[in-house]
Amino acid sequence: MSDEKEHGSGSVAPGDTSKRVGAEVIRERGVDPEELREKLIDAIGAEFTTYYYYTNLRMHLAGEEDYKEITEDARLEDRAHFELVVPRIYELEGSLPNDIRDFADRASCPDAEVPTPMDDSGGFDTSDLAVEDILEVLLEAERCAIRTWSEICDMTRGADPRTYDMAQRILNEEMDHEAWFIELLSKERDDEINPAGHFARGEPGDAPYSTNNRFNDSA
Amino acid sequence: MTQSSNETWTVTIVVPEDSSLDEAGETYDLEVGADETILAAARSAGVWLPADCQQGWCTTCAARLVDGDVAHPNARRYYDEDDEAGYVLPCTAKPRTDTTVVVDQYDDFLEFRAANDRPPGNSKLDS
Ligand code: FES
Ligand SMILES: [Fe+2]
Ligand SMILES: [Fe+2]
Repeated sequence: MSDEKEHGSGSVAPGDTSKRVGAEVIRERGVDPEELREKLIDAIGAEFTTYYYYTNLRMHLAGEEDYKEITEDARLEDRAHFELVVPRIYELEGSLPNDIRDFADRASCPDAEVPTPMDDSGGFDTSDLAVEDILEVLLEAERCAIRTWSEICDMTRGADPRTYDMAQRILNEEMDHEAWFIELLSKERDDEINPAGHFARGEPGDAPYSTNNRFNDSA
Repeated sequence: MTQSSNETWTVTIVVPEDSSLDEAGETYDLEVGADETILAAARSAGVWLPADCQQGWCTTCAARLVDGDVAHPNARRYYDEDDEAGYVLPCTAKPRTDTTVVVDQYDDFLEFRAANDRPPGNSKLDS
């Protein structure tokens, strides 16, 4: 029976450490592991920039403790998403850009800046800053993340179960995040009840699907 | 909020012969509302064009405008020189007249952005 199925990844010679069967099995199944890896770098570039920007957005939800808490959950989970996928990039023989500016430039989602004009010294003019505008920035950032991780699920489905598993864990949380910010923005802007269907995380940034402690202790 | 309009325009989508998309070599005529993006109209008509952010940022959807006119009111990263060179981002591009676009131009557009020292050009090509 051994001649029934030929494995292209069998082209990696015994003892050859210059190639990875872990990458060749993906190529055999029709996905270019290099292209996938570069897309993963873009995707976690966005996780990393939103982790940064959410810090500032959270700060500026002054006096709105419940909004701050939810934003903190989303912020810490974005860091968890970054951490979860970093090892995968190295497994696929990629690396993080050496210059953080390149990392931010290639992020697949927009910068989530505090929606207020900068003053001359680069500080914030917060005089017209509205809570609903911050919530809208948060909502649109989550929507971008949903699209990105859905694309990565599409790219890996049936070809790379390891990356697919990561992407679908992250996607689960991004969908939670969108639901949270729809609820908050509906109430804040339109005085409309639009339940997320969730309660706050057990502890800040719980990352119930994606945290890599439970999933990959070595990372 | 975007202004409402009942107008629709015919958007012709050309998928190049050498595209890696399943639709390579095909041409589609779609009726696209003035408030609708070309990407959304194409996907809902079953034409699966490439995209990622859908916010006019990542450039995954890049296309070339060969005829007509579009507006990008909500694009997050779209520069005057893109417009001048005839590049458009279908995820945020809304037709302003009957329009023809050639899709799947991401690689060329990255080169163009890099040549203009605009992101994500060099950050992608140097890696
Ligand atoms: S999908 Fe990102 S710019 Fe169009
Ligand atoms: Fe995230
Ligand atoms: Fe998120």
